[in-house]
Amino acid sequence: MTEEQKQAQAPSSAPRREGGSGGHGGPRREGGPGGGGPGGPGGRPRGKRQYFRKKKVCKFCVEKMDFIDYKRADILSQFVQERGKILPRRLTGVCSRHQRWLGVAIKRARNIALLPFAGSAAGTQAPRAVAATVEAPKA
Amino acid sequence: MEERLYDLIFIVRPATPEEEIKKVLSGIEHSCAEKGGKIEKTEHWGTRKLAYRVAKHREGIYVYQQIRTNHGELIAELERRLRVQDVVIKYLTVRLDEDLKRQKKLVQKREQRTARRPRRAPAAPPAAPEQTAAAS
Repeated sequence: MTEEQKQAQAPSSAPRREGGSGGHGGPRREGGPGGGGPGGPGGRPRGKRQYFRKKKVCKFCVEKMDFIDYKRADILSQFVQERGKILPRRLTGVCSRHQRWLGVAIKRARNIALLPFAGSAAGTQAPRAVAATVEAPKA
Repeated sequence: MEERLYDLIFIVRPATPEEEIKKVLSGIEHSCAEKGGKIEKTEHWGTRKLAYRVAKHREGIYVYQQIRTNHGELIAELERRLRVQDVVIKYLTVRLDEDLKRQKKLVQKREQRTARRPRRAPAAPPAAPEQTAAAS
């Protein structure tokens, strides 16, 4: 608390911090893979942030894939978190039909150890960047 | 019964000599010949990292085969064989022909649609988002 008050008094350092942590509820989408990111931040006014998100298109529709091969772990791994959770399509922009096939393919790939199961704690290396969420206080 | 296409993947222990793998493969071939199946494809993917530990191993040698057969019992037989093999730590069989059939149908449909498009004004179902390909 005292820290924030200090920063409010010192105008030179305040704006930078504001931009970083946002007013309410920081952006909780760090896990977004490949195309998931909301693109360039630019000078976004707070509160209206989500309307500037780029329209996402289904990667499989663009490439006209009619069959998602469970053996292509390189493709499938773009649609799971590093712990192995299947990403929801609201983050990835995959259309519902392809998401359905994707789910099947990912589950098959898990069976043959090409992808991790969501619960397993085995062999994950890159640690998640959680520092940003920690610093947002409840004010 | 029409012919079915199956994928068969198995993983052997990382330090398995080549002859052992050959032995497993010839065993598969043998039962295929016995029950009336045909091996369409055999691929050695080599040593890969496993996504999780299997039989205390972190990596394994992947072998991939495609098998075409009329008889479902062949797959049951192959699975039984792979299960008792000591060097094989994991296997997976997947029936593929239904997926491929569906794929063929979809490709056909799309071709029809693109063939029809010039005649009609901008088609109502915007199923093929070509213009958005530039995005990301």
